Amino acid sequence: MSTRDDEIKRVVAELEVRIAEVEASVAVLKGLLADDEIPADEDTD
Amino acid sequence: MRTLADVTSETLRLWRESKGWDVPRMARELRRAARDSGEDVAAHHGLVRMIPQWERGNRAPRERYRLLYLKVFEDLGGLSHGMALGTDVAQRIAEVRSRAASLPGSGEIRALEAAALAKPREAMTPAEIRALAAEAIIHLHEVAGKLAELSALLSDDKASEGKS
Repeated sequence: MSTRDDEIKRVVAELEVRIAEVEASVAVLKGLLADDEIPADEDTD
Repeated sequence: MRTLADVTSETLRLWRESKGWDVPRMARELRRAARDSGEDVAAHHGLVRMIPQWERGNRAPRERYRLLYLKVFEDLGGLSHGMALGTDVAQRIAEVRSRAASLPGSGEIRALEAAALAKPREAMTPAEIRALAAEAIIHLHEVAGKLAELSALLSDDKASEGKS
């Protein structure tokens, strides 16, 4: 396994972490907005 | 050099999706690769029917088509090196590219932030919401940087292969 192969694996691993961090933050923001929609549905009943 | 014989059906789908191609586009790419090398392959509509079957694992592509996949992704760069590294790494490269492509842009994150700030929250303070959005955008830029770094590593390797 060459140094470059190790570099590729390292960058892929770092990408996986960074992507997961963005996904988690966006999920929290979307979760806040989703909370808004539940009372609105209940109001229509 | 490995062949595609041990690549899973899921990998074929991930490779296609990592390029943002729909099934008809994948079919066109396979037909173009075949035409460039003077081979006969199934008609476009036949490939459009077969590709989802290969990707679901309902049937395995014949060697001719496995070699065409190799040619298509070699020409595009990147994934062929992933295959040389091993199918696990190739799949991880395809997955991170696909996941990165589906991330929202910074404008969309700003819009989410603005919508979340539009009314008071019990779960989070405005400062926490702003910090969360800012952090997401920072990480988004880091993702872009890492993707560029990955592409450079893969293309450097492709160039050095060409010289040898």
